[in-house]
Parts: sequence; structure tokens; C-alpha cells
Amino acid sequence: MNNTPILETIDPEIMGRLASRREAIKQGASMSTALATALAIGSVPIALAGLTKDVFGQAPLTIKQVLDFAFLLENLEAEFYKAVLGESAVAAYNTAFIPVRALIPAKARASITLIRTHEVAHVAFLRAALDTMGGPARVWAASDFDFTGGNGSGTGPFARATTDLQFLLVATQAFEDTGVRAYKGQAGNLISNDTLLEAALRIHSVEARHAAQIRKIRRENGAPDTVRYSGTVRGGGAGAAGAGNVTAPPAEVVTALGLIYAGEDTNNVSTLNFGTTLPGVSAGDLAFAIGEAFDEPLTREQVVAIVEPFVIPAIT
Amino acid sequence: MMEEGPMADGKNTFVIGDPAALGTVETRRQFLRMLGVGGSIVLLPTLFAACDDDDTGIVNPPPSGGVTINLSNDTGILNYAYALEQLEAAFYTAVLAAPVFATLSAPEQEIFTDLQRHEVIHREFFKNALGSNAIGTLTPTASAVTGALATRNSLLLASETFEDLGVAAYNGAGKYLTVAANLLAAGKIVSVEARHAAVIRDIRDGTNGTKFANSEVVNAQGLDVKLEFVPVLTAANPFIDTEITLTNVPAVPAGSTDQAPQHS
Repeated sequence: MNNTPILETIDPEIMGRLASRREAIKQGASMSTALATALAIGSVPIALAGLTKDVFGQAPLTIKQVLDFAFLLENLEAEFYKAVLGESAVAAYNTAFIPVRALIPAKARASITLIRTHEVAHVAFLRAALDTMGGPARVWAASDFDFTGGNGSGTGPFARATTDLQFLLVATQAFEDTGVRAYKGQAGNLISNDTLLEAALRIHSVEARHAAQIRKIRRENGAPDTVRYSGTVRGGGAGAAGAGNVTAPPAEVVTALGLIYAGEDTNNVSTLNFGTTLPGVSAGDLAFAIGEAFDEPLTREQVVAIVEPFVIPAIT
Repeated sequence: MMEEGPMADGKNTFVIGDPAALGTVETRRQFLRMLGVGGSIVLLPTLFAACDDDDTGIVNPPPSGGVTINLSNDTGILNYAYALEQLEAAFYTAVLAAPVFATLSAPEQEIFTDLQRHEVIHREFFKNALGSNAIGTLTPTASAVTGALATRNSLLLASETFEDLGVAAYNGAGKYLTVAANLLAAGKIVSVEARHAAVIRDIRDGTNGTKFANSEVVNAQGLDVKLEFVPVLTAANPFIDTEITLTNVPAVPAGSTDQAPQHS
């Protein structure tokens, strides 16, 4: 595939900066343990210790590994939307989604079309960045993905997304929320590179806009009130998907949703009393609001476990 | 209004009282020069600034209770986030108590109720995390809040402006954080702000389905809005009746270009 036009759309200043960092990146990546320790000790004595587990509980990826990981996720998303809209390079995928395509209301179609445009742009952005570091670990093709979650069988538990609108929208929401959580989990691994961290944060919030829009559309189309008009995630585990308007979802799908929303109900303000600051809010509603107010990260390992059934080659 | 010159303490201080002031080439040059010598940037309270346009070069004594945010470390950057969350929380708390709330549809009321709770929780989160390092309470500009609450349309526009500005602020500030746990905390919040921004934009979009992330906020590369400290606080300034002094504003890395949200 010719990627020259893609490269030309990238801000030359950003690419120049990436190129100038190439050597440093090749040599090793994010931040040395010694530096990280020095920063943690030498700078701010702020009591966020309870939050550090998520970051340090996983082996840090190099910057190149972070980008390769994001590149996989963006390719998966972009190819999914292209298939839904009938634009995939794999004709069979376009055909598969014909039944549901006819059911998508105009507003949802407009939103999904814009989301597709963004995911394709993210693929191009990450490709250009990776090309300054020796190229992506793998150049993904539409045929590398199985949107039924069947690892290539084409008959996996998510096959119903091709015929059932509510199912499709749950899957779409789950993809986007996974993206938000995946980027959030990698931000710390980019902390040594201002340029890439800023870009990743700017992609991260776009994914969150996508997820919110799909949630709002779902609520407008009959999803339960777990799915907030505010676009935020209520609760944790499979219930946070708000899939109550999907008829008898397969057990594997419920399991997958459980992985996607695991820990989303984490309480980041457990030491605080909101009696005076949020008077009159019931304990139950307060617990919901506290969970909604913070989106939680996922580690690379957690995300790989979620997306593996949709990616035919082994994820290394 | 923008002034550069010696203050009482003899240090160079840059004073911003008008959101339009940063728009001219000359004031931008002055501003950049100030950053090079480690000066301070003062954002005057709305009402105070509005009264001081006589160009005498004499800055009237500010009202008491101004805050200083030192951006040289994570504490300052989190205080900046705390300042924005204070404004949002105060604004949405006012929304729930205003007559305009009753004119909203049930879904819209649910959204504003959710947003108020989330922003109060964010504010209290930062207040607690910062502890004795937290800045004081900012006073919202009552007339600006009242104006924003006048009609459903003005409410929605102001809310969209706040939320997109919050996204831009976090996206611009994250790279200056040095402790991964602080970056993660900011990351947990910014995506919620982005969700808020998307749904408010969608209310204003009717049934079109694209304003949640259209080219007013997401560029051709698929990147969201991003602003540095001074443009954010300059944009928020009409709603802030407390003098804010920023010190040690960091130099912007090469290649980091601001992208301000647009609101049609």
C-alpha cells in the first residue's frame, strides 16, 4: 500500500521532532528506573499513592511498543467501521454487514461515519510516527481481523453485530471504551516524550468523545438508564455495558464485556465525604456518580485478552 | 487590555485582562519575551479588568484573595486543573438551581445532574489530593454566570465552551506532569470531560450526529483540541472573579501547536 499521501498529511514539525528523537527512542525507550524513582521522590508529595498501582503493576513498554500496540487497536477499529459501512478491502466483510447496515438510523450512521474517519486518521498518524522508528512491527490488513470474535472462523460470538442493530451499537461502544482505557493505560509509558504523549492524549479524548456519542445514541434508542445520556460509564463489569436491550447475548459476549469494563467502578475518592458538597444525593446515586467521574485504565495484557479473538495473527 | 512593565516588586509582570488581548502579534511577542525571562502572568478578575482600560499604565490594587499557581512542578499543574474544576463545579451547581433547568427536557436534566456531580467530585478529588498545597477558592463572576443561565441556548453554549476548554486544558497540560500517577489521575478525568463535551455538543446538534467530534474540535489528523495554560485561563477569565498569577509558565516544546475549540 502506498502511504506517501498519508505522510504528507502529518504536521512536518511533529514529524521532524519525532525524527530527532529517533536515536534516543531506539536506545531504550521510556524512562530509566533511576530517573522514574528520582522524579517520584524529588518532585511532588501529592497523595495519589492509591492510583499508582495501575501504572506500576505492569511491565513498562518502550515507546515503540506503545505505538505498535496503539497501531493494532486503531487498525482493528478502522477496519471494523469500514466493514460496517461497506468500505472494507475484504468484500465478504462488506457483504456480511449488509443486513445491519440497512437498520442503522441516519444519526447513528453520521456518527459512525465520522468515527471511521477519525480511526483511519489515527492509523495514518501512528504509521507516520512508527515509520520514524524503523516501521511498525506489523502492517495490518483488513483480512487480519475477524469481527465476529472467532479468531478467523467468521462464526464467533459477535457475529450477531452483522444483523442486530442494538448488538452492533453495544459492540461499537465496547470498542471505543476499550480504546479509551487502553490509551489511558499507556500514558505513563510515554511520559518521557512530550510530543508523543501529547498526541496520545489528544487521540485518547477523541476516543472518549466517540464512546460518549455511541452511549447517548444507544440511550436514545432504548438502552437502559445505566447507559447515561451524559456518555459516562456507570458501574463496572459486564453490567457497565448496559446491554439490557440486547436479546439474550451469548455467554462469551457477556464474558468479553466483563473484561472490557472490569474495574470501571473503582472509587478514587473513597476517603471523602460528600455530605456537604453533594447534599441530598442518595448513597446509591453518589456511588454511581463517583464511578462515572473517573474512567479507569487497562493494561496492555488486559486489552490483548479482550481483542485477541478479533485478531487472527498472534499478537506478540 | 494587556500591560507589561515593572510592578511594585520590580519584576516584569504581564497582565492580561481581556481575552482578545492575546490576539495581536505585538502582545504575543511581549508575552513570549516574558516567558524567556521568567516573569509572571497575571489574569485580572473580570470586573476589575473591565474597569481598568484607561491605559494609564497604573494597575489598580487587585481585590483580596488572588491565587498564585507555580507551574514549575506537578503541584502547580494539578492546581491549575483544580482551578478549572472549581469553575465547572460552581457553574453546574448554579445550573441545577436556576429557573432555566426546569425548561430542559428530561434527558437534558439528567445530563446536567450527572455533570454537576462529576465536576463536584473532580473538584473535591483535587482539593483532597493537593491538601495544604491547594490554592484557595475561586470566585465565579456572578454576572457572567447569570448571563449564561439566561436561556437554554446560552446555557448549552456556555457548557460546551467549558467542557471543550477542559479537554483542551488537560490535553495541553499532561505533558508537563512528571509523576506517572499524576498523569494517570489527569487521564482518568480528561476522558470524562471529553464525554461531557461530546454529549453537550450533540444536544446542540439536534439529529445531525457529527458535532460531538466534528472539525471544530478534532483536526484532520484525528487529534482533539489542545491549549497551553495562558490561552485556557484567558478564555475562562470572563467567568473568574479572582486574580490568578501564573509563575514559571513552561516553555512549549517544539511542534506543540495549540488547537482551540470552535463553537458554532
